[in-house]
Amino acid sequence: MGRYITNRIVQLIPVLFLISVIVFGVLHALPGDPAELILQGAEGGAPPERLQELRQAMGLNDPLLVQYFRFLGGALLGDLGESVRFRTPVSGLILDRLGFTIELAVSGLLMALLIGVPLGMIAAVRQNSWIDTAAMGLAYIGASMPIFWFGLVLILLFSFTYPWLPPAGAEGLQSLVLPAFTLGFVSAGPISRLVRSSMIEVLGEDYIRTSRAKGLTERLVLWRHGFRNALIPVVTMVGLIFGGMLAGAVVTETVFSRPGLGRLVVSAILSKDYPLVQGCVLFLAVLYLTVNLLVDILYAWLDPRIRYGN
Amino acid sequence: MDISKAGAPAPFVDEVEPETQSAGKRAWRRFLRNGGAVIGTAILLFWFIVALISPWIVPYDPTDTLGLARQPPSAEFWFGTDTLGRDVFSRVLVGSQISLQLGLISIALGLVPGVALGLIAGYIGGITDAVLSRLVDAMLAFPSILLALVIIAALGPNLRNVMIAVGIGTVPLYARLVRGSVLSIKQLPYVEAARVLGNPPLRIMLRHVLANAYAPIVVLSTLQVGHAILIGSGLSFLGLGAQPPTPEWGLMSAEGRDVLRRAWWISTFPGIAILSVVVACNLVGDGLRSALDPRMRIDR
Repeated sequence: MGRYITNRIVQLIPVLFLISVIVFGVLHALPGDPAELILQGAEGGAPPERLQELRQAMGLNDPLLVQYFRFLGGALLGDLGESVRFRTPVSGLILDRLGFTIELAVSGLLMALLIGVPLGMIAAVRQNSWIDTAAMGLAYIGASMPIFWFGLVLILLFSFTYPWLPPAGAEGLQSLVLPAFTLGFVSAGPISRLVRSSMIEVLGEDYIRTSRAKGLTERLVLWRHGFRNALIPVVTMVGLIFGGMLAGAVVTETVFSRPGLGRLVVSAILSKDYPLVQGCVLFLAVLYLTVNLLVDILYAWLDPRIRYGN
Repeated sequence: MDISKAGAPAPFVDEVEPETQSAGKRAWRRFLRNGGAVIGTAILLFWFIVALISPWIVPYDPTDTLGLARQPPSAEFWFGTDTLGRDVFSRVLVGSQISLQLGLISIALGLVPGVALGLIAGYIGGITDAVLSRLVDAMLAFPSILLALVIIAALGPNLRNVMIAVGIGTVPLYARLVRGSVLSIKQLPYVEAARVLGNPPLRIMLRHVLANAYAPIVVLSTLQVGHAILIGSGLSFLGLGAQPPTPEWGLMSAEGRDVLRRAWWISTFPGIAILSVVVACNLVGDGLRSALDPRMRIDR
């Protein structure tokens, strides 16, 4: 197990390196001068000497390679530079909002599992019936749903028409219900499809026939023997879905006016705060990779074949 | 379909006389037997026609402020009017042009370089393949929305850059898919034969390898058009894509957000339009997948 974990961590290093190159490269090598863009917003045409000053201050006059290694060196030590707009360290801005986004992503993930797993189970147990068709149709619609629109519809229904839940903010558990459901419903589709096919496969196994033959009730057969084995492949998917949650958070946080990393990065783009955009994206990418690493380790622990497989 | 088949008994024709039908025809029949795929095709056709003729059929100019702000849906304004008094129905119809363009152009922007990279990596192999594959893996290792955000941050928020950002995000998907197909196809005897006959590598890659790897590319593209419209409208909703007064569906939803309580129709109808197009793309994509090769699998 230890060797497996070490291997996976070592494999991550080149990926992280490449991601840092891509993020840095796109923001710095594409046409467009950050200094010019920043000043453009402030006053119509920027005087050349102010541009030069700002470039010097931002280190934009150094060769790209020097800039890159300064960025990478800082990032490794947790220093992601300073936000142009807030004039405070990017890492502090990220950490302030991290909790909100994690809260949203985790509750969204729980919601996705709470919707997707039962939907897939029911569809599998009642395979080819109208229940199966309805459940899979629902999953299909969820996967094709524009997330911002679904959020708005929920606000319309459950905050305005029936004033049960707050339409915005991040105070208390109540304000989390609608955003989490929005994220969960949209991500439940792939989960329910996977649970369905996995459950159908498991239900055809010999040990299911054996447990039926020895006279277990159908409920015990389905729950103790079917369900638990059908869920194993879902674990691998959790990492991917978490990525979807981070992407969805960018939109969901805006719809529900929640503070968080998604809204931070959007406002950073709109205000041309390059160091903040760079820091947020890099941080989100590392967060995503870390979660996937943990999920892989969990999966290897659950299923020893993975550990020895390759 | 040819006339001689039209009168034949419909079911199981292809099983009875398989050799008289080409693979393409059999796939087409399988596709037509899939109810969801047919519905999806109908919805997509509807939107394509609307996109083509909308300038002539809309009741009002989509950017004209009619002086009647936030009118609820009525016989006069089917989908109501927005905060500036523009007709939402006209805007939704004309908006189809933008969404379909967004989907098709961004996919084309991802398809061309992606297929080229996949072909090169798969056909040449060796160190070229190793380098390209690592790059593709790195791009696939984090959510494509993050890459899109970085690209939009660098190029500036507008519709054209959304297409570029979404397009670049799909490059690694095509590259991986095509590389895999090429690796299996280049082993086949007819490719060997083409090489022995002295065909230049470029000709072999395009005429013999790529021509036989088209099916998964078509399926991926159909599914990705829906995905691109979903992401693109989301970015426009955030203010990172289309800018006012463009009648883009995501942007229209955003414009109705602040008056949602008093004027639900402004955000609601554009969203239904997006949902219908994306569902249709997914239905057609899944239909094509099972029609072209029932065993074919594509990771999304």
